Amino acid sequence: MKRTLFGLVVAAGLAATAVLAADATPAKPPLGLPPVPIPAENLQTPEKVALGDKLFDDKRFSATGQVACATCHDSKKAFTDSPLRTSEGIKKGGKALTGTRNAPTVVNSAYFAVQFWDGRSPSLEDQSQHPFINPVEMGLKDHQPILKIVRSDPAYVKAFEQVFGKKGAQVTMKEVMQAIAAFERTKVSGNTPFDRYFYAGESGALTDAQKRGFDLYVNKGRCVSCHRIEQTQALFTDNRFHNIGVGINDIQKDVPVLAGEFLQAKATLAEVDVKVLGDKRTSELGRFAISRDFEGLGAFKTPTLRNAAVTSPYMHDGSLKTLKDVVVHYNNGGVTKEGDPVNDFLSGGIRPLNLTEAEIDDLVSFMEALTSPEFASLPSAARMEVKP
Amino acid sequence: MNPIVPSRRDFLKGAAAAAAAGVVPMSFVKLAFADPAQDFTFAYISDAHIQHISGSKFVRNWDRGLIRAVAETNLLTPKPDFVMFGGDLGQLGMKEELDHGAEIMSKLRYKTHYVMGEHDYYLDLGEYWSKLFGPHWHSFDHKGVHFVVLNSVLTYDEWTYNRWPSAEERMLQMAGLDNPNGSPFMVGEKQRAWLKADLDKVAKTTPVVVFSHSPLQKLYKGWNFWTDDAEEVQAILAPFEKVNVIYGHVHQIQYNQVGNISFNAVMATAWPWPYPNTYAQAQHTMPVLTVPMNRADPFFERDATGWQFIDVHTGRVALKYNLYNNTARTVAWNPATGKPEDTVFQDPSKRVPPQVHY
Amino acid sequence: MKRKIAVALAAAVVLAVVGGIAIQADEFTKKDQERWEKEYMSVVQKGRELWTSPQLGTNGVACAQCHPNGANTHPETYPKFQQQLGRVIALREMINWCIQQPLEGKPLALDSKDMVALETYVAYERRGVPLAPGKH
Repeated sequence: MKRTLFGLVVAAGLAATAVLAADATPAKPPLGLPPVPIPAENLQTPEKVALGDKLFDDKRFSATGQVACATCHDSKKAFTDSPLRTSEGIKKGGKALTGTRNAPTVVNSAYFAVQFWDGRSPSLEDQSQHPFINPVEMGLKDHQPILKIVRSDPAYVKAFEQVFGKKGAQVTMKEVMQAIAAFERTKVSGNTPFDRYFYAGESGALTDAQKRGFDLYVNKGRCVSCHRIEQTQALFTDNRFHNIGVGINDIQKDVPVLAGEFLQAKATLAEVDVKVLGDKRTSELGRFAISRDFEGLGAFKTPTLRNAAVTSPYMHDGSLKTLKDVVVHYNNGGVTKEGDPVNDFLSGGIRPLNLTEAEIDDLVSFMEALTSPEFASLPSAARMEVKP
Repeated sequence: MNPIVPSRRDFLKGAAAAAAAGVVPMSFVKLAFADPAQDFTFAYISDAHIQHISGSKFVRNWDRGLIRAVAETNLLTPKPDFVMFGGDLGQLGMKEELDHGAEIMSKLRYKTHYVMGEHDYYLDLGEYWSKLFGPHWHSFDHKGVHFVVLNSVLTYDEWTYNRWPSAEERMLQMAGLDNPNGSPFMVGEKQRAWLKADLDKVAKTTPVVVFSHSPLQKLYKGWNFWTDDAEEVQAILAPFEKVNVIYGHVHQIQYNQVGNISFNAVMATAWPWPYPNTYAQAQHTMPVLTVPMNRADPFFERDATGWQFIDVHTGRVALKYNLYNNTARTVAWNPATGKPEDTVFQDPSKRVPPQVHY
Repeated sequence: MKRKIAVALAAAVVLAVVGGIAIQADEFTKKDQERWEKEYMSVVQKGRELWTSPQLGTNGVACAQCHPNGANTHPETYPKFQQQLGRVIALREMINWCIQQPLEGKPLALDSKDMVALETYVAYERRGVPLAPGKH
């Protein structure tokens, strides 16, 4: 009797897989999220996703054999390396190299129009190739070691043939990037207490403090205009770049020289990738390094707030440790320490908020309601005290 | 004797201050129409509307607009030859506002010429303004171009001297753009006579650039997008081959060609104004040529504000709008059509949704 | 007797209407309309005062500084999806948004007389424009 049932379950499972394999359209998006954008030239299949997962975890794709994508985007830490401020790559002389930027979560990154804090990558596919060859991340000189492995390791050989119908020299970085991107596109999560409250009408899903925080979020706190919540879905990002006064104060006086040097160098995208992670002062130029536009000076991409409570620290340089630090920065009108000068290039949307202590706490509470159930057990960074 | 505050002294010395080493190389926008020989550029900042609240508090929003324009102008390369300020430095012409605005402007590394705006003028008829910035109208020559600065926000003597019980009341009345008790702008007979005499000494082939706050055209009287003696002024400019009028006041992108005169409006650093065709009860004659600026998102306070720099190529101006939160726009003289045109959006099929105003 | 009362009543009705007082529920006279128009315009005028008042917020900025004659407010498009608030709202909620943001003031109660006056003024300046609800 048991065997028959088991057989039935297996059969059902196989049938389901077969259906999934044949039908490349994605499953229904989580509550509060729109359908994941999927490019026509890289449709999802379970095998491709599994291959991408394997590539994502593979430490051999680094100069020391110790670092994989998953090192800085750890599935046990909501795909970040919390609480590290900036990511730690390969070790040199016993010490891990580090760059200038805070590893963003992969979760819901499929909804971004561009990738990286400065948007220098147009897609998930493109983004995946850069950390392999960045000296402070995985440290490879070029992608050849990766291609060697995927073309010779029997498990990869089989997988690439099954997924792409390619083998040997036909397997290129394009297939590697597509598989990784396909895997990342499955990392979407919604269904947070906020989603249940706002989109499913569960009035008890938020605490009173969170409800007050939500009201502040939309009104006095002004958060909603960049960290978008809309009528039927909430990405918590506007996919734009804004200077909110983090980091740029350190280089304000040097901006003319730095920006000038940068433009004169006329770097390629790969060189930009190295420079912005390798040199803190250049890194603070933000979007300007990519767009060469005054508008981008000190501007960075609006991240999603989903799962923010478990993906500390915050900002492109990881300089704000807790959610309360973040709200205080905004309350001060775009400076971390109250009374610091406001940088000349501050985004027009940033101004002092005049929030009370209680209101700040309510906003932080609200942000804790943006954690999806799958990450709810991770430690929340929301509550740590602000350093004096 | 009033003590001179250090910042004001710095400001007066500003023209002599050495330019800093290290600037941003900018091949900002390629001009499609220009001759290969590039003449020179100057920057134009306008309509700051520094507004006093109380004590040492000013409206932060307008302060930030001017601060940013100054900071970005300082980054320009090649360096502009000079900077124009297009009028309305203050909101109610108060000494505090003019001083605060002058202090922010003092960070500029270039010689700056100032144009009078009505928000500067109607409190004390430009008396304190002159102490800071010089004559209300004057002309200067630069690299073969004759530049004229006019005070085009004068109005009828009766309104200026007799209508209002106090200077403050007069200023308040002129400060409301849509105030039915306002009075139309004009250059006036005295200045027109001066202009004619001044231009008599200039060869007809010399390019002329006129800086004015009001449009030197009759666009929409209800909001004083208007110069009452526009025809007379245009007639004085008519004999010249290449005339460019650059004006502020309207806080929006406008451009037009009337006979031999190219008109270009500059952006405000403070806030944008609606186009007159969006006022349902208005009857206006707005230039059809203009491709409007993008509609502002009020959340981003700097949206639809900005500053500009102007390339003078063989006597014609190309105005490059540096717009915050927006793609930059260039309006340049098109020799094929004989009028200023937007280098990207003039063709109706190239327009984008934010350019629809209603 | 009944007939006399009926005639008297009919006469009274005629007299009443002739005298400018309509006494039937569905009737109103030209004088009524003129009076109500004046009542209405008094609120339009109040709205205009608020529109140009530096006291609505805390920084001295008035609505009319950016919206001369109420231009660029698009009352005919409300209720609409207001991008700055992330949801569909009525005009008065956007008025409150502006009071809080560029004017740095406290929001008005949605049913306050001042809010009604502001909406009245805005709509008046937009008279003649067809409804276009939801238009961005």
